[in-house]
Amino acid sequence: MQATPRRPVAPRVMRGMLLFCFSALFVLYVAGPVAWLVSSSLQSEAEITAVPPNWLPPSPSLSNFEAIFTAGERQVTYETRRQGDAATGGFLPSGASNLLPSLWNSLTVGIWVAVLNLLLSVTAAYAIAVINFRGRRATLYTVLATRVVPDIALVVPLFLVIRNLGLINSVGALVVTYLAITVPFTIFILISYFEGIPRDLYRAARIDGCGHWGALRHVYLPLSLPALVAALTFAFLTSWNEFVFALVLTQNVEAQTLPIVISGFIMDFTTSFSFVNAAGVIAIIPPVLMAVVFQRYIVSGLTAGAVKG
Amino acid sequence: MLAALHRRFGYDERSAALLVFPVVAVLLVVAAFPILYSFWVSLHDIVLTRPLRRPFVGFDNYLRVFDDQRFWVAVARTTIYTVVTVAVTTLLAMLVALLLNENFPGNRLLQALLLVPWATPSVVNGLMWKWIYDPTYGLLNALLLKLGLIEKYRVWLGDPDLTLLLIANAAIWKQMPLAALLIIVTMKAIPDDLYRAAKVDGAGVFQRFLHVTLPALRPGLMLVLVYETMISIRHFDLFLIMTQGGPGDASFTLSWLIYVETFRSLRFGTGAAMSYILAITTFVLSWAVIRFLGRRI
Amino acid sequence: MARIVCEQLTKRYGASVAVDALDLTIAHGEFMVLLGPSGCGKTTTLNMIAGLEEISGGRMLFDDTDVTFTPPHKREVAMVFQSYALYPNKTVRENIAFPLRLRGTPRAEIERAVEATAAQLEIAHLLHRRPQELSGGQRQRVALGRAIVRQPSVFLMDEPLSNLDATLRLSMRSLIKRLHQNLRATFVYVTHDQAEAMTLADRVAVMRGGLIQQLDTPEAVYARPANTFVAGFLGSPPINLIEGAAEAGAIFARGDFRLPIAVAVEAGRTLTLGLRPEDVSAPGEGLTTIEARVELVSPLGSETHLEVLTVGQVPLTLRVPKEWRAREGETIVFGIDPARLHVFDRTTEARL
Repeated sequence: MQATPRRPVAPRVMRGMLLFCFSALFVLYVAGPVAWLVSSSLQSEAEITAVPPNWLPPSPSLSNFEAIFTAGERQVTYETRRQGDAATGGFLPSGASNLLPSLWNSLTVGIWVAVLNLLLSVTAAYAIAVINFRGRRATLYTVLATRVVPDIALVVPLFLVIRNLGLINSVGALVVTYLAITVPFTIFILISYFEGIPRDLYRAARIDGCGHWGALRHVYLPLSLPALVAALTFAFLTSWNEFVFALVLTQNVEAQTLPIVISGFIMDFTTSFSFVNAAGVIAIIPPVLMAVVFQRYIVSGLTAGAVKG
Repeated sequence: MLAALHRRFGYDERSAALLVFPVVAVLLVVAAFPILYSFWVSLHDIVLTRPLRRPFVGFDNYLRVFDDQRFWVAVARTTIYTVVTVAVTTLLAMLVALLLNENFPGNRLLQALLLVPWATPSVVNGLMWKWIYDPTYGLLNALLLKLGLIEKYRVWLGDPDLTLLLIANAAIWKQMPLAALLIIVTMKAIPDDLYRAAKVDGAGVFQRFLHVTLPALRPGLMLVLVYETMISIRHFDLFLIMTQGGPGDASFTLSWLIYVETFRSLRFGTGAAMSYILAITTFVLSWAVIRFLGRRI
Repeated sequence: MARIVCEQLTKRYGASVAVDALDLTIAHGEFMVLLGPSGCGKTTTLNMIAGLEEISGGRMLFDDTDVTFTPPHKREVAMVFQSYALYPNKTVRENIAFPLRLRGTPRAEIERAVEATAAQLEIAHLLHRRPQELSGGQRQRVALGRAIVRQPSVFLMDEPLSNLDATLRLSMRSLIKRLHQNLRATFVYVTHDQAEAMTLADRVAVMRGGLIQQLDTPEAVYARPANTFVAGFLGSPPINLIEGAAEAGAIFARGDFRLPIAVAVEAGRTLTLGLRPEDVSAPGEGLTTIEARVELVSPLGSETHLEVLTVGQVPLTLRVPKEWRAREGETIVFGIDPARLHVFDRTTEARL
């Protein structure tokens, strides 16, 4: 007679501990720097320049953010900037009032790009994935090939074209440019996902009386929600984060996007650190929020078929 | 013949043309034209300080680039930077994937956090790490001092030996999530049966990883390596924000060289030539990685 | 009603030919079965009739109208798939109603048609459900419903029963047969299962390598197969094929094994002889008597399968009535009617 062997406890406890340790390390690595950014943004200039630094804001306040949102109302000249106020303590960059408008610009451009991107990519991806047409391969490769050349190489010619069209500083120019750089990737995502949808469903729809438009509307779109969300998110994030093209294509303050304005602060060595950190937090909130909320969709949308491709 | 006409202009062809046209139009204007124009520029001696004289010089610009000392310095810097970034990103991504692939409470929360670095704008990324590396008030200094690893505060970004690595660190932080994601998905596709068979055969945890997980991961890893390489070679934003190529030429990469040549020296011809050299290198490298590693692993 | 004519129908994929200059006329109201092993081109042919595959060569006519280049959504055919292909994001009701909706049928009429179809297929109680919640058999009924609700003149079916289990397959088979009788539409049915072909078809087209091997009624194809391939493909257990040669006096010989045959063949010609397992009886008048040793006995209840080895070392499988008592190792004698033998030329494989 044998006693049934019991599952050893030690390895399970070990596993639990290891998982916990690594999880903690992971969270620290991924969220730590951002947490520090947020913490810095809630500190006053005096607190932030303390040595050793305050990990957590000793008296967290939103005054930095207040300064950003009210910057437009205050005339920041060379004289007044030095006075600042107790919260921001040090110096407001002369471009401080540009932050909110640039935020608005980034938002506008981002939304336009996301929506237009979807309109363009969905139709093209459907055609390439589903319709067997002459030049299908060529079209796909050409679309993907536009991303081989580094952005810096394209900046100057693009600048010249847009300047000749008189479209410098226009939202439209930025939107179209960002469309061109995001569309290849979103098409790729959508094609991979479309190819995962059973072909028989397409056939059934065609037989039932759908043309291509009908098949797209009744079969592919309804079943591709994750990929659509992934594409939207990617398009928005890319255009929100984009730097080089915005730098060159927007010359005056009305048209500048958020990254440009923030980079201006960073380069301005008289800027108060807490202020810059607060600006950074504002810039980071929309994309991170989108990424976290849509994370499930992004994952399934990006990866269906992506690895096989 | 009528049949051939039908094939060319039939319902399918017409629909496809209509569906694909908007994308092609946008790309033609915004991407194709600049790409071709840029190539044309690279074949001419165009300097913006004397914009009216633009002689055709064939591939002279390219040769001039190869003769330029700075080019080779940039190549060296870019190589180190890319190798370090790609290697560490992939390694970290692998570890993260292994962690997130396990089933444990709170797994979902961790997965949600994973994308935070990826979503961070590169400007903010640069800002964040610059602040952490700050010589007077930075977190890094404080941390290391507290742990007793250094005796006094150091100027991190001013140290030519460390600059590239510090920038790489910021880049790795931002890129790791996407790589990890790709690996996780490949991992999830590995059938359980393989692991069970391995366990029955007597394989321990590490051996299972070596003989089941790694080989099955090959296509995913390949994709990650190629993508990371292509991206890292062209990194620009962080260099502009954090060090501007300095100190000295410690972080003088190819992208930075192109920027300086085009926008500071205003020599568009050679700037364009450099861009094309970079583009071709990227292409060849990706192809080489696919061919070489595709066979070995 | 539709008469389908395939004229020199060809499908090429690059260098390989999937369907090779096929000529096939399907009369209206006929139940035509395309039968063959995988890769023989039957599904490709069906898809070309549907318009889902581009036709590389030849023509397709529906009732004298050339539809070769007509896209599928304009062809007015209905199709049922092996994978059912039900829209997962729609309910059963919406799935069935879909073709009518696309045609702009008024709502009241759609409701009526859907209810009637659901009643006919006994799925009325499932109308509010989604495909994922249904069993295989139920899904297939919904797929059928979606097809018949339009009252089309042409029904295409691509191995619709292959994903169902054995008992379900039988009941669905009779359902399809009854549907054909009620609707009197043209049915084109693809399958690799010869039993389905035999029970359902008005005519069978046996295909292989993109070509029709034989086109005839099931009885004719079974009783008079045009070549060894067709002979071997129909019938279960499969026909016994014995390779040998002709000898003078209309005799088939293989080693010591000899059988008189009913076809005149010159001596020396290499032959393949076909004997259906059920074409044996007790020895009798006018029958050739064969002696064989029983190797394996497989009683099925309704009949018995015997694997025997004849004089001359020729292995045969026989289907015998259950009353025949035979044990392994025993020697039995049975009679063969030479008229029931199938003789094929060994090289061309064609019937003689």
